Parts: sequence; structure tokens; C-alpha cells
Amino acid sequence: MLQVENLYAGYGSSEVLTGTTLQVKRGSVVALIGANGAGKTTTMRAISGMIRPTQGRVLLDGKPVQGASASQIAKLGLAHSPEGRKVFGPLSVEDNLLLGAYAHLPLFFGYKGKAATELAKVYALFPRLNERKKQAAGTLSGGEQQMLAIGRALMANPKVILLDEPSMGLAPVIVQEVFSIICKLKEAGVTLLLVEQFAKSALEIADYAYVMERGRIAVEGTPAELNQNERVIAAYLG
Amino acid sequence: MNLDILAQMVVSGALMGLIYALIAYGFQLTYATSKSINFGQGELVMLSAFFSLTLLNLGAPYWLMVPGGLLFGAVMGLIVERACVRLSLEQKSEGWILLTIIFGLLGFSSAENIWGRDDRPFPSPISADALNFFGISITGLEIAVALGVFLIMSIIELFKRKTLLGKAFEAVSADRDAAELMGISATKTIMLSYGLSGMVAAMAGILISPITTVGPTMASALILKAFSVAVVAGLDSGFGVVIIGIFLGALESLTSFYLGSGWREAPGLILLIMALAVRPNGVFGKANIRKV
Amino acid sequence: MIKRILLLRGTEILCLLLLASIPFAIDNAYVLGLLTLLTIYGILLIGLDVTVGYLGQVNLAQAAFLGLGAYAGALSVSLLGLDMLGALGVSMLTGLLLGALLAFPALRLEGPQFALATLSFSALSTTVLNEWESLTGGAQGLSLTRPALFGHAFNAPGFYWLCLILLALVWMAMRNLLASQWGRAFEALRDSPIATDAMGVSTFRHKVAGFAFGSSLGGLAGGLYAFNFQYLQPQSFTYDLMVILLLGVVLGGRKSLWGAFFGAALIVLLPNLLSNRLLFELISATGLLLAIIAGGRGWLKKTTPAFQALAPIIAMSLLVTGGYLVENTENWRKAIFALMLFAVVVGLPDGIMGFAARYLTRLFRIAPATLAKPSNLTDVLPLSPSDDQVLLELKNLTRYFGGVKAVDGISMSIQKGHVHGLIGPNGSGKSTAVNVISGLYAPTSGEILLLGHPLPHGSLFKVARSGVSRTFQNLQLFGELSALNNVMLALKDAYRIPLPMVMLGLAKKEDHRAQADALALLNLVGLKEQANVHARDLTYGAQRFLEIARALACKPELLILDEPAAGLAHPDAAKLVLIIKAIRQRGITTILIEHHMNIVSELCDVVTVIDGGRVIAQGTANEVKRDPIVIQAYLGVADDEPVIASS
Repeated sequence: MLQVENLYAGYGSSEVLTGTTLQVKRGSVVALIGANGAGKTTTMRAISGMIRPTQGRVLLDGKPVQGASASQIAKLGLAHSPEGRKVFGPLSVEDNLLLGAYAHLPLFFGYKGKAATELAKVYALFPRLNERKKQAAGTLSGGEQQMLAIGRALMANPKVILLDEPSMGLAPVIVQEVFSIICKLKEAGVTLLLVEQFAKSALEIADYAYVMERGRIAVEGTPAELNQNERVIAAYLG
Repeated sequence: MNLDILAQMVVSGALMGLIYALIAYGFQLTYATSKSINFGQGELVMLSAFFSLTLLNLGAPYWLMVPGGLLFGAVMGLIVERACVRLSLEQKSEGWILLTIIFGLLGFSSAENIWGRDDRPFPSPISADALNFFGISITGLEIAVALGVFLIMSIIELFKRKTLLGKAFEAVSADRDAAELMGISATKTIMLSYGLSGMVAAMAGILISPITTVGPTMASALILKAFSVAVVAGLDSGFGVVIIGIFLGALESLTSFYLGSGWREAPGLILLIMALAVRPNGVFGKANIRKV
Repeated sequence: MIKRILLLRGTEILCLLLLASIPFAIDNAYVLGLLTLLTIYGILLIGLDVTVGYLGQVNLAQAAFLGLGAYAGALSVSLLGLDMLGALGVSMLTGLLLGALLAFPALRLEGPQFALATLSFSALSTTVLNEWESLTGGAQGLSLTRPALFGHAFNAPGFYWLCLILLALVWMAMRNLLASQWGRAFEALRDSPIATDAMGVSTFRHKVAGFAFGSSLGGLAGGLYAFNFQYLQPQSFTYDLMVILLLGVVLGGRKSLWGAFFGAALIVLLPNLLSNRLLFELISATGLLLAIIAGGRGWLKKTTPAFQALAPIIAMSLLVTGGYLVENTENWRKAIFALMLFAVVVGLPDGIMGFAARYLTRLFRIAPATLAKPSNLTDVLPLSPSDDQVLLELKNLTRYFGGVKAVDGISMSIQKGHVHGLIGPNGSGKSTAVNVISGLYAPTSGEILLLGHPLPHGSLFKVARSGVSRTFQNLQLFGELSALNNVMLALKDAYRIPLPMVMLGLAKKEDHRAQADALALLNLVGLKEQANVHARDLTYGAQRFLEIARALACKPELLILDEPAAGLAHPDAAKLVLIIKAIRQRGITTILIEHHMNIVSELCDVVTVIDGGRVIAQGTANEVKRDPIVIQAYLGVADDEPVIASS
């Protein structure tokens, strides 16, 4: 579904990605793990078009999308829930969700009706969002904001979801809740690329995983293989 | 001191203040999406007024002139965005300040040469006769100003709150990157905001012209006060502009009554400098956190 | 070196002599009038360039300062009976004081708000000049006679020479100022106000001083303006003039004395050029040709975006076709200004002189000035013995952002001479903690003690002055300054000579010594050979190292390195380790925030691990690496699972 080939990207004169290659098969959950600063978030940003790759290809469903703008790539069916959640603070929870489906809805009227099924699905997955649908997203707790960010990404019925550090800055109890939701998504057959700091938890969920070091993939394999691999821990704690 | 005269001054000043508020609202629209404003907005007000007057002179009925003028304003707003703003924003520079000033200069000079330097009357179907409310006389034109201001501001606010496109507009101002990830094009949203802002400026021109007459310099004093209102209220504060606009309009009309009409510009200017010194983000604005 | 002085100074002197001798050659009152105006506008634009060019702010108040200076000069003659010198002094002082008064509130603002504040100020001053009729004569205008200087009355050429001499003096003072620490500070605070404060150079002081100085030149020009025309009207100093002045600076070229002079010449001559049809057509055609050549070249080489290449061509085409269509070009003066200005701002952001200077430098092969011999490093950074003293102590430090507890009660102490590692997962609060220590944010509660004394809260500048300096996770270099100037700016206690002496050119020796010291620091990080390269043109790794050298120039008690290895390629990371080792050898205490554990292990004496805004572990690198709590924070292992020890 998603193929990344030999990707180079960075910020200004600093090249962060130096030839990243990975792929995410339809219906699978793939984890991208590695130490801080290894280039996980940059990989995500380069895939979704938030930064322009300098070299390499990104194929979404077989079609090259590298070089397109983030909004174009989003319309092609890629949802990216960014690091730090980035919900639209002043807007209500429901508006945040509706905007998640922006590319597929009429711009003026009747958009709510058209999004009703998706909205119901997301509310079923996150009852708490339903309770607070009128509340401004900025007033939610960190965990609720994370759920909103995931829900927002689901609204577009995307081909692939990129989920960047869903557990960042959350209390342990909430982290577990977030992971159980990711499990549910997996059961529902959502294709997911997950960047996660908590490597162990990510490996429990994932079908396949890549370990990044210094801007490229150092090790890859099934979770079972990687759990045995000392380099995984080395990647984190040197 | 005659209380009636005082009340009269305050009310008619406040009604003028609504025009400042409307133009300031136009600044807020573009500031929300792009953190930029059009320094040539006054010329946009004036050009739209001239264009509308020309429509009327060509025989267009009043109901056709208004949308025609608004459309003209919107197109001009789009031109400003394309020619003066987009490149600087892409380069993350503040070149747009200079470029929009230049645009204003070009617009001013063009108006001077196309329509002449003289002030011209702007006919209006609404009577200029005064109506009396509790001893305060208000002209039909002034009521039209108030209604027009609230009408267009309500329509735009409704658009922002009720349509998905409007919500996208708010999303871009809340978090541009995240909005892009939803498939919302920030560039198009900024264009939209400049189009709307131009439309608002045109509305201000059409509303004020029957009162002040139309001429190349008609907006030069107006725009300074609109700047004051926008900055004092805060460039991201929503309806704060209405309150500050009314306040400033009233204050200024009192000043000109007690100190002489030459001083009427002074309170707005002093207010602006003071507001900037005390609360750089405006009375109703939010403080921002520095990031490294 | 000699060639450089000869060419640069020679041109200036030649130009001055040429200008001075014109009245001998041409006896024409009109030409003399233009020349006098040229010198006055020259002074005015040099002043305007301080804010627009060096401080990088759109200043719309310079026309107002011209007017205020003019009225102040005129009134001090008619009311106080001062002579030329006194009156010009009053004009200048008026500009200086009002400039400072406006600067205090206005310079806290950035970009559009600053432009608006200055715009309001000019409108306000026009109102005052118009309405204070008892003093200014209002719209009727004010007539005056030109005062004498020490009993010597001026005729027209005499007054011109006076103006020319003043221009030359302003030119020299400005050149000296810009070559000094002041000039560096002006440019630095435009590129990164945060880093300027963090290097212990007050942005506020330099901004206010720069703006007030520029305004005082506006006032001086105003005085000369008054004595030149001997008649003043408030309408002469409005927004229209301001826009034309901006045109002069931008068209001539920002950040350049020659640019300001060239801009002044343009402003003076343009009305004459426009009134002559043939000349106008010639100019617009040349403009179009230039736009096509420059735009076409840039577009083909893909160095300029399509819009940037195309817009000037469209603007100039409009000018050319417009020239054929309209009858009277003078009526369209402002539109013509606008189109030319638009083309220059978009297509030639450095202005005409900026463009020419680059070209001429290459043509004459003018080499950069030779540099001083580096000082001995020990003289710059004396070795400080490490003892068991506690250098920095944090007591229950917190910082909340709304409901987010970014730092939630950190207590720790850092020993003198140590390299103290600060690690933790993303979002754990490390960066916020050092941002609080270094004064970017004020703490919500808690104490920060440096050698037992509390550090100032919430002021980068004050904390830097107290002996804490830092680098930034996202680079905050002064891109437009050379590597050398980046370090020289931050050099602590190197500049003691007061401003007036600096303007007289008496700070050269001091600057030379500072240069030698800065070169020693550049040498330490291996950048001595790139001293003259603009910081923005350095490679990414070199930029990281330059930030370290710059932070060292503050001669800190405590150095904070915020993720210095982020984004570094492997050879550069190895070099970084060597640099930090060298710093440790000099006994400088360092806080190192770093994600690369191998670097932390290699360098740090003690490591503190932070998670959720609190300290969760402390010890040597090897100890914390084995700490189950740390491993859980990093890997998210559930409590009951066995912990896999690292190799």
C-alpha cells in the first residue's frame, strides 16, 4: 500500500534521512522505532509531504506522490496524525473530526449528513469524544486530544494512516488506552505506520517493524525477530 | 454642558466607528490565515467606491451596483495576495509590508488619473433626512451604515462557523501544518481570506461614500483609524474590533467637538501607540509564547 | 590590503571632491538647489537605512522626523535666536529624543505592528504641526531666515558646502559605527533577537539606540531642510514623502551608505527625469531590458521562482506601455514610482547598489580585509580549576504552560567542571528546563542558584550577563554576519569605548583585539579558515560548531549545549566530541542535552534522566543505562516484564 524507496530529506542544509526504504502492506500495522533524533518523525513528514524529499520515491497504492504538497497527498488517501497531536484548539471536537474528512465532503452545506457514517464510527470507537463533541478541542486533556487526532485521521477513510508518537507526553494509564485503541484499529483492518518511542509496546502490536538509526533503516523484521535483537535496545540506550 | 449634544456626538461618532471596525475586520481576516495585512487596504476601499460609482453612472441599478462593487473588491484582494503577499510569505520575509504599500501607491495614483482629484457625490436611494430618537438625530444613511456593517460581518461569521470551508479557514489559522495534512490547501485559504478582506473593504467604501463623498484621499484618514482599531483590539480578537471601533468613533467625535476638528485623528493614533506599548497583542488579543 | 583601502576610500574622497567642486564649474542656482537637496536627503536616508536596512524594520516615521527636525530648527532660530550650529543641534536633539521616546514602546513590536506604530506617529506629528497654529503657523506655513554660523552668513554655495561637510561627517561616523560592535549588534538582532539576548547583548538597548540615532539624522536633515528652503509647511512631511524615502533606500540598496546616497540622488533627480519624455522612455526601456535579462537568467538557471522572474518584467512592461498611453507622465509620478519600486523589491531585493557592489567587488578583485593574528586561547578562556563546588542548583523548579506541566518540580545540582548530561524521552521537559534556566521562560515556581546566588528570572539577557550561555536546538545563528562576526558579537567584556568615540573611529584597536580573541575561539572549533564566510553559507555541521564558539565567547561559567549533535553526520559528530572534550579541559561546566547515548557515555561525568517533567534517575552514564526506571521510560516495558540488560 505504501512504499518508500531510498528517501533523502532534511531541513535546510541538514540532511536527516539518508536513504530510508520501507514498505507497509495493505491491512498491516508496521512500527517504525528508534532513538530520538534517528529520523522517524522526519520520515513521516517526508512521506506526507510536509517536507519535500530531495531524493527517492514514495508510492501510495503504486502511484508516486513524492514532491506533491501535503494537502494533495492527503486527498490521495494518506492520513497523517502528527507528532504533538496538533488538534485545532479553538474549534469544537466535532468540527475537528469533520475537517478530517475535508477532502471528501461538500464545502458549503450538507457536509454533516455526508460524514454521518464516519462520524458515528469514530464516536463508537471513542465514546468520550461523543460526550465532548461541542467542547473546544484545546480544552481537552492530552489523552483526549490524542484520541481526537486519531479519530480525525480515521474520518477520511484513508488508505494508510501515519501515527506519530501517539503516546508522547501522556500518563501511563492513558498510554495503555491509546495502545488498546490501536489494537482495535488493527482488528478493523486499518493500514497503519506507527512511530513510537515505547518500542516494546509498539512491537507487541505490529506485524512488522523497522528500526531506524541515523536517518536510515538499521534493522527490520517481525517483532519476534526484533525482540531477540540486542541492537534494538542499543538503538535506544547506546 | 449640554447632555443632548454630548449624546448626539457619541452616537454619531460610534456609527462612524463601525466603519473603522469593518475595515479592521478585513485586516483580521487575512491576519488569521497568513499573519499579514494589506497596508494598501485604504486604497482598496477608495478604488471600490470609485468603481461602484462608475457602475451607477453607467446606469446600473443600485441592487446590481452593490454586488458588482463587492466583486471588484474581492478581485482586487486576490490581486494583492498574488502580487504582493504570496512570494514574501513563501520566503518567510516581511517584504509584503513594502509591497502592499507600493500597491496602495499605484492604486492611489491610478485613481487620481482615471477619476480625477476632486471629491464626487455618491448617490444613495436611502434618504439623508434625520430621524429623531430620544432627542438624538440619526440619518437614514447612518442607519444604513450600521445595518450594512453588521450584515456583512454576520454573513462572513456565519460562513466561518457554519460551512466546512469556513471551518477550514479557522483550521488554517489555528494550525497551518495540521490543516495541510487534512487536505486543506493553506495557499487557497489565504487567497480566500484576501478575497473576503477585499470584499469587506469594498463594502466599507460603498457604505461610507454617500456620507463622505468619493475622492482619491477619502480613505487615507479612515485607514489610519482602522489600523488603530485592529491593533488596539488585537489582530486576532474577533468581535473586539466592533467594541473598539465604536469606542474610538465616539472618542474622536468628542475630541473634534471639544478641541477642534483638526485634532480628530489624534486619539486613535495615541491610543494605538499606547496600546502597542502596553499590550502589543491588543486589548482582546492573546499573548504568544516565544519559541526557539 | 592597500588596494582595498585605495579603492574604497579613494572613491569616497574622489566623489566628495567632485561634489564640492561642482559649484565652481557650473554657476546655476537650480543645479545648486538640487545638489543641496541631494546632500540633505543623503543624510536623511543614511538615517533611515539604520532601521530599514540594519534593524530590518519597515520604518514609516522618518519623514515625520524630517518635519519635526525642520520645525525645531526653525523655531529655535526665530524664538530662541540660536545660530546655525545651535539650531542644527536642536534639530538633531529633537530627532534623537522623540526617536527614543517612540522607540521604547514601538521596538517591542515586530514587523507589521512596528510599521503601524511608526505610521501612527507620523500621522500624529502631521496633526500636531497642522493644529498647533500658535507655534507652527499651521497649514499657512512658517517662514524663516537662514541663521549665521559664528557670525558668518551663508550664501547658497556656502550652505551647500556646509551640507556636504555634514554629509561627509555623518558618512564617516556611520561607517565607524557600522564597523564596530554596534553595527554587528544591529544586524544580529535582526537575524535572531533571541540569540542576541542570549549572548548577553541587549537587543532592547541596541534597537532603541539604533532607532534614536537614525531619527536624529532625520532631525539633522530636517534642520538643513528648513534652512535650505526657508519656508515650511506640514504637508511636505506626510505619508507621500515617506513612501518616496522608502523607495530611495530600497531602490538604492539597503545596508549600504552608497545605496542611501544613490537613493537620495534618485529621489532628487526623478521628477526631472520624468518630466523629460525621451529620458523617461529611455529609463523605462532600460528597466524592462534589465528585468528581462535578470529574470530570464534567474529563471533558466532555476535560481529564482517563476513569479520572482516574471513580476518585474510585467511591472516594467506596464511602465513602458503606460508611457506610450498617457499624455502627462508627471501626473502619474506616484504610479511610476510604485511600478519601479515593485520591480526592484521583487526582482532585486538587494537594491541597485547591492547588486553593483557585488559586481564591482568581483571586477576589481577586492580582497576581504586581512585578519588579525589569533590570540592565545588561554588568554581568551583561562583554565579554571575544577573543585567540588556546586555551580548550579535547581530547587523544585516548575514551569507550566496552561495545564501542561512541562517542568514539574526538578531539583538537581551541577558540579563545577563537570559535563552534566541531561537526557530523557521526547517531550520529557529537558528543553523547557534549560529554557527556564537560560531565561527564555520565567519559572512558574522554584529557585535557580548559580554559585549560591539566584539567577535572574525570565530574561535571556540578564542570565547571559550572569555567566550562563547556551546553544540552540534549532540553530539561531546570525546568518547575515560572517562566522567571525558571530563570535565577535558575543565576546564578553571586549568593548568598553563609549558610543561617541566609536563614531570618531577610536574603537579600531579594541576591535582588532576582539578579532584576535574571536579567531582563537574559531580555531578551537576548527573554523578559523572560514572566518569570513557568512554563517548562513556554512555547512550544517560548521553552523553547529559556530554556535558553540559563539557561546564560548560569552566566557560562561555554565555552558548549555542543547542537542548539539542533532542532525550531524558521523564525522561531524566525532568532531563535536573532540570539541566538547577540549571545552571540558578548560574547566568550563557544561550541561549537555543529547539523544545519542554513545556521545553521552563518552563525555558526561554525571547524567540526569528526566521524564514527565521530573528527575527519574541520576548517576554515571552506565548506571542510568541499566536503571529499570530509565529503560521503562525509554522503551515502555510494563513493570512485570523482565528487563533486558544492555550489552
